[in-house]
Amino acid sequence: MIARVGQIWANTTPQVRRPFYIGLAVAAVLAVLVGLGVANTETFLALPSSFDGVASSQAIWGLKPSNMLMVLPLGSFLVVLARSFIGLKAFGLFTPMLIALAFLQIGPVMGPVVLCSSVLVGMIVTPTLLKLRMTRVGFLGVLISLIVLVLVGLQMVLDTQLQVDAFPVIVCALCVERWWKQWGKDGAKPAAKMALNTFVLALMIEFVMVSDFALSLIEWSPLLMPATTAIAIAILGRYRGLRLSEIGRFAPIWLERRRRAKAAAAEAAALPEGIEEDRRQGLPDTRRVPEPEPEPEPETVAEPERQPERVAYRKPQLTALHRSHGMVLAALGGRAPPLEGMWVIGSPSELRPDARRRVPQTVPDIGPRPRPRLVASGGRAVAEWAEEWPEQRPPIHNAWVIRRVEDV
Amino acid sequence: MFGLLNRWLGLGEGGLIEGEILGINMRNALIQKYNPRHAIERARDKVAAKRALEAAGISCTGTVAVLEDHQQVADFKPSRDMPDAWAIKPARGSQGDGILLAVRREGNTWYKGSGAALPEDMVMHHIQKVVDGGFSGDSAAEDAALIEPLIIADPALSRIVPEGLPDLRVISLHYTPLMAMVRLPTIESDGKANLHQRAIGAGIDMETGCITRAVVKGTPITHHPDTGVNLIGFEIPGWKRVLELASRCGPAVGLGYCGADIVLDVNDGPLVIEVNAHPGIEIQNICQAGLKSRIAATGEDFR
Repeated sequence: MIARVGQIWANTTPQVRRPFYIGLAVAAVLAVLVGLGVANTETFLALPSSFDGVASSQAIWGLKPSNMLMVLPLGSFLVVLARSFIGLKAFGLFTPMLIALAFLQIGPVMGPVVLCSSVLVGMIVTPTLLKLRMTRVGFLGVLISLIVLVLVGLQMVLDTQLQVDAFPVIVCALCVERWWKQWGKDGAKPAAKMALNTFVLALMIEFVMVSDFALSLIEWSPLLMPATTAIAIAILGRYRGLRLSEIGRFAPIWLERRRRAKAAAAEAAALPEGIEEDRRQGLPDTRRVPEPEPEPEPETVAEPERQPERVAYRKPQLTALHRSHGMVLAALGGRAPPLEGMWVIGSPSELRPDARRRVPQTVPDIGPRPRPRLVASGGRAVAEWAEEWPEQRPPIHNAWVIRRVEDV
Repeated sequence: MFGLLNRWLGLGEGGLIEGEILGINMRNALIQKYNPRHAIERARDKVAAKRALEAAGISCTGTVAVLEDHQQVADFKPSRDMPDAWAIKPARGSQGDGILLAVRREGNTWYKGSGAALPEDMVMHHIQKVVDGGFSGDSAAEDAALIEPLIIADPALSRIVPEGLPDLRVISLHYTPLMAMVRLPTIESDGKANLHQRAIGAGIDMETGCITRAVVKGTPITHHPDTGVNLIGFEIPGWKRVLELASRCGPAVGLGYCGADIVLDVNDGPLVIEVNAHPGIEIQNICQAGLKSRIAATGEDFR
């Protein structure tokens, strides 16, 4: 297994290797920061009301509410990393960051519980709401009231003072809406995958925000965090290589190419039938090198089959038709001559004497064209050409009759 | 220090050009570089894009009417103004949302491809919904309804699909077509040429116009599952004309990097239906070739 991975690794191109290294580095840094954040968490299951008046983010992690603003750039930085290096698709650009903030306000376990229950209720109710054909604002308004209803219910069940700010409610409502939009667009499975991505990313961001590293950076100087993250995003945001997820997505191209090359090599190395061992292996190559053959003398007769493009121009032979010939009679009578005697010549190769001939055909007419009415449309796009609208389609014929020089 | 970091990120000399697969990051950089904002807006609006294309002399699908506001909708009467077979499209719709097709007419009732009847008031209701912006995402309050005569596919192509209209996607940079595929509807995809809904994507050789490889959802196939026609080696009729159209329609709309959607009409040959300012990169998996190496071959430096 390990040998196989090593073999695959030895065959990869730098275009694959670099994003892989970068993705691994990003993942490692994230893992360390998340670990720090988890280690920094004092209590997981406490409810906000048990801290008597102290904000839960401060009671659990020691993050002052006034410093909540400072960790926002860190969240956006992580979103950028996850998007352009790893390729995690989440609802919206910065929704995971907002969800992480909501988690910080409610608590590491209660946050997800509140979010999941309200989103679940929203998901159950939305199909009925969509049937009412409301506007988007109305829909969101109803959703917000519903989510507040769920939160009140949770308060009654769990704790009389589950302090939830207005902010998480809005975030939950937006999540429900995004979820439904995505479901309608891509189907249930991709939408569920995206929701899971969003959730995991939000959890990660939450713990990175409260890691010792972030907290000490904020303690050191309030300006440090926004400045460093801004510079880091400006540098890393210019990354244009493959995302980690795209290595998997485009792996079939590289693998298929390798397989083909291998198959071709195997075919070239295969021994003729009945021979089991190649005894020539390891011995010097004693095959005689064929002498270069003398240049063949230029042939006098050019074969038309070999060089179809270079047929010499043949002057057309003009034959006088008899007066009683059908075409002459037709021409005299003013009728169009039948086209059976003609060939369609589309390319020089069809001038060869042995080429297959095509007989001209008219494309069958499909009734009169619908005339556009401009009474109602007022359409500027159609006004110019609608004046001279032919009732009948011009006949379509795949052969041209050339009588004079001007016709060419 | 910046130099080292740039090299590590693959932003240094030569680092940008290496590799053959175009990732989404690099695609976004190309779009940012070559597709100006106003051109993207124009490409998104089908009516504006059609005007720009027709002004440049590129053959597009025909137009029956454009209804831009409620006044025009009120004056519109389908029984008087509509032909026998038509398509109603929202000008700013995405991913085929809100497209209604009628294939035949009996009196004042039209019929969909599936056989469902479309009486006049139902058609009007759909037009009303389109103009109200019901299919145009959440940003647009109003939209225009574009009514076009129905396109009937070239017999050579319609022979290989059970139903629906196959369409060609050609990705081009400036005047150079880079990669092309044809999307063939299946019964499973409900006649829609959408790769997400299990339509077939088939890679086309740029020089000969022959299908080299066909894929359904990542699995290579050789024959169409519904009609049983061999796809590999099938030659797209009028391929030179397709390439000519595709190479001209990006600059006509003002886009540098774009994907042109082209259909083959039975009478008029290749026609442009849409120009996409953000073409996807899944085409590389279907053609099994990298877009980036082809872009690099045009002399692009990816800066």
